[in-house]
Amino acid sequence: MKIKVCVGSSCTLLGSMNILDQLDDLKEIIKEDAENYTDEELEVEAIKCLGFCKDTEEKVAPVVVIEGEPMYNATGQAVMEKIINRIRK
Amino acid sequence: MKESYVDLINIRRQVFAKIAKMAYEGADLEELEKASFEILPGEVATYRDSIFRERAIVEERLRLTMGLNARKPTEYYRVTDGISEVDVDENRFIEPLINVITFACEACPEKAFYVTDNCRKCLAHPCTNVCPTNAVSIGKKRAIIDQEKCIKCGRCRDTCPYSAIVKYDRPCAAACGVNAIESDYLGRAKINRDRCVSCGNCIIQCPYGAISDKSQIYQLIKSLKSNEHMYAIIAPSFLGQFGPLASPAQIFEGIKQLGFVDVVEVSLGADITTLKEAKEFLEKVPHEIPYMGTSCCNSWTIMVEKLFPDQYQYISDSASPMVETAKYIKKKDPKAKITFIGPCISKKLEALREDVKDYVHFVITFEELMGMFVAKGIELSEIEVSDEIQDASALGRGYAIAGGVAEAVKKTAAEIDPSREIKVEGVSTLQDCVKLMRLAKAGKKNGYLLEGMACAGGCIAGPGTLASLNRVRKAVLEFKNKSACNSPLENEIIDRELRRN
Repeated sequence: MKIKVCVGSSCTLLGSMNILDQLDDLKEIIKEDAENYTDEELEVEAIKCLGFCKDTEEKVAPVVVIEGEPMYNATGQAVMEKIINRIRK
Repeated sequence: MKESYVDLINIRRQVFAKIAKMAYEGADLEELEKASFEILPGEVATYRDSIFRERAIVEERLRLTMGLNARKPTEYYRVTDGISEVDVDENRFIEPLINVITFACEACPEKAFYVTDNCRKCLAHPCTNVCPTNAVSIGKKRAIIDQEKCIKCGRCRDTCPYSAIVKYDRPCAAACGVNAIESDYLGRAKINRDRCVSCGNCIIQCPYGAISDKSQIYQLIKSLKSNEHMYAIIAPSFLGQFGPLASPAQIFEGIKQLGFVDVVEVSLGADITTLKEAKEFLEKVPHEIPYMGTSCCNSWTIMVEKLFPDQYQYISDSASPMVETAKYIKKKDPKAKITFIGPCISKKLEALREDVKDYVHFVITFEELMGMFVAKGIELSEIEVSDEIQDASALGRGYAIAGGVAEAVKKTAAEIDPSREIKVEGVSTLQDCVKLMRLAKAGKKNGYLLEGMACAGGCIAGPGTLASLNRVRKAVLEFKNKSACNSPLENEIIDRELRRN
């Protein structure tokens, strides 16, 4: 599963590094309980600003894109929930 | 702030970005009266009892970030009250540095043991039996602890088979390594200025974000716009702070895009401090002084000054790396106005000192710098760079991590005088620093070089950081290894005189 976490300036200011740290931790959590999840690998990538924040007046940072689907105002818990739901058996 | 305190961190940083933007755009400061509505739009409260309280707290943060004092709710002031005094291009910071926003404080009770509703009124009730002051009894619904009798030993908590008894510790007071947090007449946190060393730990631990420091970003940006001799010096813990895609060279270039004419690693100053402290130790210990404390952590030195005044003479006379780096630049450009960028809040106070204020003119944290990058729309990972940064040795870069200073001084002293071996001891967290000083005062650390760091893990854990401890530590170690030289004695930028034995 391709998970891209934007680390552009606005997203970094509002916590994208924390989301990256939590995703590292998520890999551990899944490993501890491996039989309940598929063995799909989580490919987490830090990416440059894709301009989501620049296209709109609204506040969208931080932005996380999971399998091509963007999540705005992403929080660690919402991102992790989405991922876990996708790989739960 | 602790990384998991996401909502608090975001408020804090949005304020930095807002103030930075207003400064770069030369905005009319009257806009501050409405700024809280931009940061918190709508009418529904997200995390406090009302949107009005949320905005009122943001307004105090805006004031503190402008360098003004927080307002008291007992008097009427506009948000911009006193603003003309700080609408200048020089540093107007006056103490107090660390402020409790009184109406943001939830007056958390002080340390106590409580019985939660996990209690099942079991037949054994060992809690009542183990209490040394007979303070525990069984009430209607659960066991009860008589707080007047309780001596807070914790035996009841330890014995409960349902873990129903908890120790309740007020986060800010528990975080304070010098017991400087007291209560005002409404039970709200109050900082005892005689004890406070401005380490900023209470700021990051308060779960309500009720404590904040003052900023200098507004005045700094005005100075960047009007002054051509602005230099930035950046602390060794800067690695990894601005995102995993921003290389050190890109960070330096990004800082220049903010209006600085040059950026220098404070690790260079660390190399100079290492050389001076090594020579000072070899010369003075043990015949002139019994032991020596390092002088780079400002909160550590203030703590020694306030709590162990008779030991203060044993703190090294060497200037901190921040000051040494600034002096190096001043020598090359006497008109230089220098800004220290680091993880540290305490350095804002160090820069006020008589012997420092002509060298270091502004102090900002990495968080505040990030606010400036966002305000100016700078994307570090997009910047094209070609140069490598090589201002300092590996030992100098190691200052960022607890133990790094001691290691640098020890290894350098060993090179200067191989016949002597320096004993070193380093501690981090202010609590442990106090304990170490007690031992030193009792004569138990004679012959030692003592490294005291107020933040747990060293400067990489400072209150002004953006990235987690582990992330930064990894990045610092990587950068250390990229240094062209290992020891300050090999650093060709430093005066040959100083590098000689």
